Amino acid sequence: MDEFDDSEIARLLRLKRYEQPPPGYFENFLHEFHRRQRDDLLRQPLWRICLERAHSFITRLDVRPLASYPTAAAAVFVCAAIISLKIYQQPETARVAQQSPPTLSLPANAEGEWNLAAPVSMPMLRTQPVRSFRESAQTHRAAPPRYVLDSVPVSYEPTFRF
Amino acid sequence: MDQPRTDPDQELVKRTQSGAAAAFDELVIKYTPRLYGLVYNMTSNHEDTNDLLQDIFAKAYKAIRGFRGKSSFYTWIHSIAVNMTLNFLKKRGRRFQLSLDDVDASVQNDKEFLELTATSSPVREADLSELQRRLNEAMMKLSDEHRAVVTMFHIQGMPHAEISKILRVSEGTVRSRLFYANRQLQNYLDEFRKNPVS
Repeated sequence: MDEFDDSEIARLLRLKRYEQPPPGYFENFLHEFHRRQRDDLLRQPLWRICLERAHSFITRLDVRPLASYPTAAAAVFVCAAIISLKIYQQPETARVAQQSPPTLSLPANAEGEWNLAAPVSMPMLRTQPVRSFRESAQTHRAAPPRYVLDSVPVSYEPTFRF
Repeated sequence: MDQPRTDPDQELVKRTQSGAAAAFDELVIKYTPRLYGLVYNMTSNHEDTNDLLQDIFAKAYKAIRGFRGKSSFYTWIHSIAVNMTLNFLKKRGRRFQLSLDDVDASVQNDKEFLELTATSSPVREADLSELQRRLNEAMMKLSDEHRAVVTMFHIQGMPHAEISKILRVSEGTVRSRLFYANRQLQNYLDEFRKNPVS
């Protein structure tokens, strides 16, 4: 039977080794490789080049063993410490503005005549700033102007005398 | 029991990893002819092979810092080449044209070729280019995975164990793919046997 057997097929396929690219192809391949690499590098945005450099740097360092829960917890703790330090180091002016006592202003007759016929007058709260914008600007030139809205806690309400 | 062999490319790989691009150039020069044969016989197209080979080395260069030497560089770069070629063939589908390289004239002096022309009438009657076209057409009728195994085993002469490492399948799978591919090739080339000059 005149049929290709396994060994003949194997021999036929081995002849494919003789199929070769044009002369000089392998010699020029490396130059072409370098040219393409340069072109790729020029086409890439700067952020991608930086990202790749950083990635290769991290890969070289082999930081995988560091990527564990204790390391993550330590990183969170350090971040929290830095943030809390920043908060407590806020400028003094801000604290002054926060802690200044509310100013209470009462109508002129609040202390004097009090009669039941008159409608109950509630203490008036001044809604204007404690200091004028100009004063504030003169005192704290560096800090931006702050407004403090007066508020009166319940304990500050004047007691009525009968 | 197999003794663990040292990777002959270990030094070049280490130098590349430490930033010596010239060391990678040496690896490119060393592996280009071999990988060209692998990709070319899987695609049967010279231009596609050239583009793929450039991409393969570019990918290997980017990934080489992560290469830990669990396999040899030879196996590693062949795995990249086979996987990238298989992905390319999936995208290319069936729409392609053969773009074959010339057969080197020295084939006429090849011992196996002389034996084939002496014993096999179809090979004797067909001219070289016809034989090449028929062979490539038969190869392209195989599935991509079967063609990969046939290329590595029959054309590149790799042992089953090496092919199984590259493809990450068992040696049994490699053998069964080869068996099936040989049967397929026999069927496809049967037409050539009956009608060597079409």
